[in-house]
Amino acid sequence: MRFEWFVASRYLRSRRKQSFISIISFISIGGVALGVATVILVIAVLDGVEHGLRDRFLANEAHVVFRLHDHSFFGDYEKRIGQIASIDEVVATSPVILAQIAVFPEHSDTIQDVIYIKGIDPVQEDAVTGFSKLVSGSTDFQNSEYIETARLLRNETITGGIVLGERLAARLGIIKGDVLRLVVKLAKHPANENMLLPDLSNFVVIGFYESEMAVYDNNFGFIHIQDAQKLYHKKNRVNTIFIRLNDAELAPQIAREIEDTVRFTVLEGMPDARTWMEIQAPLFSALRLEKIATVIIEALIILVASFNIASTLIMTVMEKTKDVGTLRTLGTSRGNIMKIFMIQGSVIGILGTMLGTTLGLALCWLLSSNAVRPSYWYAFVLAAPILLQVLIATRHAMPRKGGWKFAAAVLWIIGIGFALYCVVRPISFAELGLSHIYQMNQMPIKINWFFVVFINVLSFLICWLATFYPAWQAANLKPVEALQHE
Amino acid sequence: MRTGIYEIGLKRKERVVQNPAEVLIRIADLHKSYYDGESELRVLQGINLEVYKSELLAIVGASGVGKSTLLHIIGTLDRPTAGSVLYDEDDVFNLPDKDLSGFRNKEIGFVFQFHHLLPEFTALENVAMGALITTPNHKTVYKEAEALLDYVGLAERCLHYPNQLSGGERQRVAIARALINQPRVVLADEPTGNLDRRSSETVLELLWNLNAKSGQAFVIVTHNQELAQQVDRVVQLVDGKVVDSGT
Repeated sequence: MRFEWFVASRYLRSRRKQSFISIISFISIGGVALGVATVILVIAVLDGVEHGLRDRFLANEAHVVFRLHDHSFFGDYEKRIGQIASIDEVVATSPVILAQIAVFPEHSDTIQDVIYIKGIDPVQEDAVTGFSKLVSGSTDFQNSEYIETARLLRNETITGGIVLGERLAARLGIIKGDVLRLVVKLAKHPANENMLLPDLSNFVVIGFYESEMAVYDNNFGFIHIQDAQKLYHKKNRVNTIFIRLNDAELAPQIAREIEDTVRFTVLEGMPDARTWMEIQAPLFSALRLEKIATVIIEALIILVASFNIASTLIMTVMEKTKDVGTLRTLGTSRGNIMKIFMIQGSVIGILGTMLGTTLGLALCWLLSSNAVRPSYWYAFVLAAPILLQVLIATRHAMPRKGGWKFAAAVLWIIGIGFALYCVVRPISFAELGLSHIYQMNQMPIKINWFFVVFINVLSFLICWLATFYPAWQAANLKPVEALQHE
Repeated sequence: MRTGIYEIGLKRKERVVQNPAEVLIRIADLHKSYYDGESELRVLQGINLEVYKSELLAIVGASGVGKSTLLHIIGTLDRPTAGSVLYDEDDVFNLPDKDLSGFRNKEIGFVFQFHHLLPEFTALENVAMGALITTPNHKTVYKEAEALLDYVGLAERCLHYPNQLSGGERQRVAIARALINQPRVVLADEPTGNLDRRSSETVLELLWNLNAKSGQAFVIVTHNQELAQQVDRVVQLVDGKVVDSGT
């Protein structure tokens, strides 16, 4: 063992007069460990949420949305779909009319909301977004029983059926079978050109769309593409093509390929293929921002813990001033002294980081493992003897022999591990009534190994930097003054 | 006398005094002042002194005349304000800290009034400490340390911590510690100042025997007139100056 390690390790293990400093070392290790464990756990939860949302999103959303820059309608869409479909990786396409429209329910004579209307071909849309799986009710936009009934009971023209977002329907107070009036535009009065009349179409609500994604459930209505074309008087024209890919991660490059493949004249406009990443950028960047904020906060926690280390070392230096003087008389250089105290701080940092990583990963595992656990009572049964031991240990010094200490440490680890195993269980969003908010039944955990390594390096670096000042302070003590220190 | 193993150590280094009159340390026009704001406290005022190889030199004087300061400067623990300290005619204060520390480690041993043993380490480890700084081979070092403890009569106390030793025993451990690297000079600052009469006698006997056997120079700062009468040469300091240097 090198000289500096020899002295530093003895100072760290010091149990006699300096037991106060040993306790502070222990608290410093605990501080770093808690910081590291928390950051690993929180990031695992955030990553879990992000991946959960992403998977859910990718299952029910187009990977690439193709349209013209100004969102205008274009013809020959079947030919263009053929061109898109010829690209490798493209597995399905769906022509769509996407527009905003004002609505009022039949029981209201004022406009209640402005919603997004999506004119789709149910079969093609199914291939891209799994549309029908998310609809409760009918997806037969032309011949649904609700439409038949409405047509029989009312003497109004019914254009077709509409599937409404579940929460939108609730907001409008609409049930299946109700008629919803869509206002596409204002038209001139046939008798008086100065008057404008709303161009109304009646749609029967045939189902509710329940994707559990707020943006769709709150704002969208789905009608048949032909009805949409009729509404907008755009026969054989659409304004959007939804595309599903084999691998969603390839979306950026396929989007560029689609833009290059599908040709438009200058008069028609510029093609614009947007990826799911671009469309959902606000959500994912919010999640990323949340992660960055978390990392900063957690880094601050570790920084606070590192102040603990610094103050521990400063106190050690004060306590050991005389020893530093003695070591200097024995021929220890400033460099040696600096190393001794830096090793002490670094060991605290490494131990804290390792302990924190172990604890963080263990908590991640415990929070994601659905294995059946023993009753909580087992944890108390184990905790009681441990507490008793703490009591005894504080009253009477623990046996100092290495073997005993090792056995006690192993027992402690097993005991605490088992107690945690009994107590820490997956958090059920369903039980807490949060599943509709997070759109998951259980708090998701996804360990980001890159981040685990990153936080380990960061934590150690912070702790190591915290050792500089006290170590420098020790190294620069004047030998004679240090010897005379009281 | 239990000297065997320590003598083996001496043979290893073959440190034999050739010419006792050879100068080991030459102190020339040494000044030391302390500053407190604008006021200057002149402790040493032009000390000129030679320490010969293997001699027993006592520095005596009243409290506050600068005996300890002089000893600290000779021991390279403190730097002079002016003047030089030459070891073998080389000014050691020209060395950078690392080399100066190495020099101190090899060439100088210290014994203080208060033992200054490290409380976290056993007697054996305390004695070995000076050698452990540079020697990675612990086994050899510990053997030598054990031999030294045996020599000072503390073979049974190797694994005891300083707080488990008496004052006299601690001082003997401190003497053993000063000798581990077989330095050319041992600087002792009131080595018996904190001991009862019986312990003092043991410690002094030890010092004289060591000087006789190893040929190391001993510079002892003391108030103790009895001690001063037993050395080769006595230097008296008055007001930071050497006023008398004689046998």
